[in-house]
Amino acid sequence: MPGMTRRDFLKIAVLAGTAPTLLASCAGSDDKREVNFFNWSTYIAKDTLPKFSLETGIVVNYSVFSDEEDMFAKLRSGAMGYDLTVATDYMIPRMKALNLIDPYPTGALKNIGNIDSKFRDTPYDPQNAYTVPYLWGTTGIGYNKKHVSKRPDSWWDLWDPKYKGKISMLDNARDCVGIALLMKGYPQNTDSDAAFQAVEKLLISQKPLLKQYSSATYVDSLINGEVDLAMAWSGDVIQAAKENPELDYVIPKEGSYMWVDNMCLVKGSRHRADTLRLVDYLIEGKVAADIANFVRYGSPNAAAKPYLDKTLLDDPRVFPPPSVQKRLQFYSILPPDLAQTWINTWSDVKAA
Amino acid sequence: MPHKIKKFLAWLFSGKSEKASHILILPASFWLAFFLVVPIMLLLVLSLAQLGPYGTIIWHPTLENFRRVFTPLYVPIVARTVAYCGATAVLCLLLGYPTAYFLSFYAGEWRDTFLILLMIPFWTSALVSIYSWIIILGRDGLMNSVLVGSGALGKPLDVLNTPFSVILGLVYFYLPFMILPLYSSLEKIPKQYIEASYDLGAGAFQTFLKVTLPLSLPGVFAGFILTFVPCLGDFLTAEFLGGPRTYLIGNLIENQFLMAQDWPFGAALTAVLLCAMLIGLYYYQKLEAAELAA
Repeated sequence: MPGMTRRDFLKIAVLAGTAPTLLASCAGSDDKREVNFFNWSTYIAKDTLPKFSLETGIVVNYSVFSDEEDMFAKLRSGAMGYDLTVATDYMIPRMKALNLIDPYPTGALKNIGNIDSKFRDTPYDPQNAYTVPYLWGTTGIGYNKKHVSKRPDSWWDLWDPKYKGKISMLDNARDCVGIALLMKGYPQNTDSDAAFQAVEKLLISQKPLLKQYSSATYVDSLINGEVDLAMAWSGDVIQAAKENPELDYVIPKEGSYMWVDNMCLVKGSRHRADTLRLVDYLIEGKVAADIANFVRYGSPNAAAKPYLDKTLLDDPRVFPPPSVQKRLQFYSILPPDLAQTWINTWSDVKAA
Repeated sequence: MPHKIKKFLAWLFSGKSEKASHILILPASFWLAFFLVVPIMLLLVLSLAQLGPYGTIIWHPTLENFRRVFTPLYVPIVARTVAYCGATAVLCLLLGYPTAYFLSFYAGEWRDTFLILLMIPFWTSALVSIYSWIIILGRDGLMNSVLVGSGALGKPLDVLNTPFSVILGLVYFYLPFMILPLYSSLEKIPKQYIEASYDLGAGAFQTFLKVTLPLSLPGVFAGFILTFVPCLGDFLTAEFLGGPRTYLIGNLIENQFLMAQDWPFGAALTAVLLCAMLIGLYYYQKLEAAELAA
């Protein structure tokens, strides 16, 4: 059966195994006024969804992931019931190729004009068909000032034997392989074997110094002194720093990546109208600003700007000054085989 | 009508009709066929497929995935897994044997209470108990608060995310699998044998060494298999209590299905692991049969 996709395979698997119950649960359309929203953990303001429900009478069933690969694997293995998910730029071509997301119907969002034009016509979604930008951020180093005397300014600080057993790295190929390429001076879209060998060696050489690979709990580890330095996402640390002033975040001098998380319509959703209503609500200027003020990530929403906290707007860790911006690049959209090379390199690092 | 049903039920549960026995076994057979045999077959088929772009599956049969399983890259992971599971089984034995011995020879009227206490951890979800261990072992955790607070230690111990915490988690989870077969083995030893040993002049220790221990060996073996074999596929414990250098076969497989999106390779790894486990269970079964025959 050449050309058969994994979804087809799963359909057969599912039909063979659980056909009766599934048929029963799928029969007929579902006219409950609800949206099943799948989002990163700690990625929305506390009152956003309750306010939406109050205003519209639509119930939002909110569930979270802390690892984008898990989200992807869940959608791909045919997890049913999600209507709206949040996905990072680099994930979009993959999700499109595997038919996991639907394009937005034209004219469905009356607030779409609120999105800053800088975040439209992106390489990952040139026609703006599949994505509505939600928040953006950077990858850098989070650290605990109590235990790190000198402010880290280089990615190499995460390789400093002085902090043996006190270092945490994000648990994903995009950030780890991406940063290692930067450190070794290779362009992001290199396909040279030597580059990936060097990256693999570099990341493996760091393993004896590491406490953990973690994308979910590393902020807690920073707070309770389990680790001193962590490869981190900007808002995660800055959000926690509001309550724990000893935490800080830097973008190292070698540069780093910025990324955009997007709201995507999950294929097969049975609550499309209500989902669109929710997306439209989330990109209202005031609502988008409330979210950004709470989670401390950058908002791609131009209409949100007047409502943003001054402390957020003036925070160079959230909105880097031009001198730092020069050192930031977006993730490029890699061709499938190159994307696989990144993943394989990362797998080998984890396995070593 | 009720009469007919009564008659049918009487026939069904009479324990005499072969046809009735087939009907009774039907639900379990369907369950096993659809949720065990079919998925395993699909897994085997999947392990022969190839990986396409963006993690799609290409159905050109290949043995490449199996060749990859046996590359040197994964030897350290296999060695580590066997070492951790071996250590877990041995520690379970060292902790479990005295416990089982106590249960069979000393617990008296409290025996059932102790057995229930032993089973209680089973009723909590594995994730909950793993998180409890994180709370206990963490830097700010219960253990360190007590040790540092009482002045026994100058600074907290970093035991979380180490091989120690992983093996501790595994021993905690698998200990009952060791104690129960040991207990049932010790329980079966006729008390007359032990009395006879004393009558013939053997001391307590000699009796244990020459009578009790040899007769409990089937239990030791069963316990070892029942802890070691399921432990081989464990990934939750290493995922949550482990660090970057406690990666086990279970984690490698999980990673293929989630992060790497390489389902064919993950399926091949699973197939090989299943084979290894089946060999273990085959010997366990054989031993059980031999014991029953004796």
